Amino acid sequence: MEESVGSLQQGNHPLSKKLKKILDTRLDNDKDMIEALKTVSTFFTDNNIRTRRNLRGEIERRSLLINQQFVDAFSHVVKDLELIHADVQSMTVCCKDMTDRLSATKEQTQELITMTSDLKSEEQRLQVHSDLAQAFLDRFQLKPNEMKVFHGTRDGHLDPGFFAVLEKVQKIHADVKVLLRTNQQTAGLEIMEQMALQQESAYERLYRWSQSQCRSLTSDAIDITPIQQQAMKALQNRPVLFSYTLDEYSTARRGAVVRGFIDALTRGIPSGPPGSPTLESEKKIQGPKPIELHAHDPMRYVGDMLAWLHQASASEKENITQLLSECEKSTEDANRDTLAHVLEGACRPLKVRVEQVLVSEPGTLTLYKLTNLLKFYHDTIRDIIGKACENISLLETINDMYILCRKLFFNSLQYLASKLLDKVELPPSDLSPPRTLNDTIHLLRDIFDSHDSSILPAAERHTDLVQVMTQVLDPLLQMCAMSASQLQPADMAAYVINCMHSIKFMLSLYEFTDQKIEMLSAQIDAHLDTLVNEQAASILMRGGLANVYKTILKHEHDTGPLSKLAGLDRSAMTSAFQHFDDVIHSPDESVLPQVSMLASATLKEVASSRANELVSSAYKVVYDVFTNEKNGYDSATFTVKTPDQIRLLLC
Amino acid sequence: MAAGPYNYSYIFKYIIIGDMGVGKSCLLHQFTEKKFMADCPHTIGVEFGTRIIEVSGQKIKLQIWDTAGQERFRAVTRSYYRGAAGALMVYDITRRSTYNHLSSWLTDARNLTNPNTVIFLIGNKGDLDAQRDVTYEEAKQFADENGLLFLEASAKTGDNVEDVFLETAKKIFQNIQDGSLDLNAAESGVQHKPSARPGQTLNNEQQPKDSNCSC
Repeated sequence: MEESVGSLQQGNHPLSKKLKKILDTRLDNDKDMIEALKTVSTFFTDNNIRTRRNLRGEIERRSLLINQQFVDAFSHVVKDLELIHADVQSMTVCCKDMTDRLSATKEQTQELITMTSDLKSEEQRLQVHSDLAQAFLDRFQLKPNEMKVFHGTRDGHLDPGFFAVLEKVQKIHADVKVLLRTNQQTAGLEIMEQMALQQESAYERLYRWSQSQCRSLTSDAIDITPIQQQAMKALQNRPVLFSYTLDEYSTARRGAVVRGFIDALTRGIPSGPPGSPTLESEKKIQGPKPIELHAHDPMRYVGDMLAWLHQASASEKENITQLLSECEKSTEDANRDTLAHVLEGACRPLKVRVEQVLVSEPGTLTLYKLTNLLKFYHDTIRDIIGKACENISLLETINDMYILCRKLFFNSLQYLASKLLDKVELPPSDLSPPRTLNDTIHLLRDIFDSHDSSILPAAERHTDLVQVMTQVLDPLLQMCAMSASQLQPADMAAYVINCMHSIKFMLSLYEFTDQKIEMLSAQIDAHLDTLVNEQAASILMRGGLANVYKTILKHEHDTGPLSKLAGLDRSAMTSAFQHFDDVIHSPDESVLPQVSMLASATLKEVASSRANELVSSAYKVVYDVFTNEKNGYDSATFTVKTPDQIRLLLC
Repeated sequence: MAAGPYNYSYIFKYIIIGDMGVGKSCLLHQFTEKKFMADCPHTIGVEFGTRIIEVSGQKIKLQIWDTAGQERFRAVTRSYYRGAAGALMVYDITRRSTYNHLSSWLTDARNLTNPNTVIFLIGNKGDLDAQRDVTYEEAKQFADENGLLFLEASAKTGDNVEDVFLETAKKIFQNIQDGSLDLNAAESGVQHKPSARPGQTLNNEQQPKDSNCSC
């Protein structure tokens, strides 16, 4: 500014330039200038020459002052900076120290870290090993608690977990084979041997346990526990032990069945299970009486015994089925054999009693009923035991009894039949069937009826009965024939017809008798013919036509007139007709007593009408001869009845 | 599998009696199989069924003997009354004749069982109400007069079938609890598991066992 003022004060040329420049200067726009001027105006208050002269100095003095101030201020800063520098310096030292120490430490720990990581990996490896070993042990060895379960306690109690362990042992034993295929053969063999030992001892133990369990199954009602079922299932892997256990079981049950049977027979109250109070001695015995009290009634006695055995069979079948229900392999044979053994014990008591009944001669009919009863129970019990049941001693016993009973029955029939022939009665005077025949028929009827209401299925009927029928009827008919042999033909015919008719009538009630009935009918017809002939002959004889008729028949083929023959002349003929006419008016009187003694009204009817038929046909022959012109009887002078009239009269 | 060591603690023996065709076998079948057996053949002699039930928390095995109704089997079926704890006497509500024969069946049951045997009268075929020939009231009166339990049931629909068997068992069980049924008279038709009756002593020395075994 001083310059511009100075230039303004200079001269022309440069001055003008300067002026121009100054004038051109736009002060408004020069902020620095404005700022400077403002500052100047703060201290340049008095514009006079002196001040103008001093302005420059003033400004310089002020500038100096300001710079002085500046320097002062910065000297502080410098001081501070120096302090900072010192600090930083010390820090650097520290840091350097620390770095040194760090690097030293680092050098030291390097080894440790390597070691640690080595250990870590070692640990991992070991862990894997341990897991593997544990898995191996889990897989191939028993745990201590399992061992405990397995070996059990002194009291022989069997833990339900036993079977799971046993299963595991078996699994291990099977799995070990895999080991043998690898290069772990030693371990495999060892484990295998160990497990085999374990298994054997386990089976041994299981067997002992089952055996003692089975041995205790001696009460009337038993219940098989699930553990027992499982034990049987497990034992099935050891057939010998399995069958020994079943033997034990069946022996125990056999004893129970025999005892129960004997008790039911003799006491009516089976003894209570062991350990149960038996108070019945104090109490009045109620309920069914002992079976043996009915020994006098063979049917009831034998029936009750067999029914008891039937029920026992069903119960025992259930028991054994329950015992073996868990078994996986087929137990049908074991089941049946055991059942057979269980029931075997009752055979002897049964046999003794039934035989006693049979030999006490209970009568033919009862024998027959017993035969059926035995057969019925044989089949019923067989159905329970199962189809393939050979060698079941109870069934064999019952079958033996059946065969014996049947034999005794037929023997008894045989005896009856032979007795019929031994002592043949004379026929009664009224020619009715004799009493023995009626008795026999009655017995047959009873037998047939009891068979009709038999308990056996229909398919088994008839075969026996046909045999019964044959065995009895033949001697019976023989007896009739023998007893009739002394009689006149007419009497014999009537008697035999009566006998046969009553047999036939009885047989006709049954369905299997067709053949016999046919045979009897034929025989009856034959005898009826005899009787009819006798009857016709008797009527003709009484009517006086007999001789005439016979003579006519003799000369049937002669050509000449018959009236010329001796015995056939007209007077003989007319008197015969006369006589016959008298007789024919009262036909009843001419009936043979034998015919009227026929028991059957139908047969009587048939006999009469057939006899009448014969008579009227004979009459017709005589009549034809008489009325024939060529015979020269001069019949027109004598009235005779025509054959039709005779037929009417006879009816 | 059963909870306890035993499947059941009692066995009750039942017998089912009644005329032919009243549905005895069907009732049994409905009870044991829970199915209706149409075209049931005539029973030959005696047949047999079992089922385990529960009464008052006790498992009871029912051993049921189903008899033939045909007259020709009468002699055989009589042998099975021996030792029955329950007798189910069945008639057909649509056939009066089967109801009329009840007294003869009852006589048999009374004579051949023991006095404690529970006799249950069952009017079967309750589903055929339209063809009813015997009223409920009449049968109920008969039952009351003779001291019988009574229900009408239907083997076809299964109505009351369960109840009949269960009620009978309950009654028998009650008799046992009352002490009116002597368990030891095993002819009572009730058999008890030995182990279920602990703490009892053996005192049957007075009775020599099998003393009269004659074999």
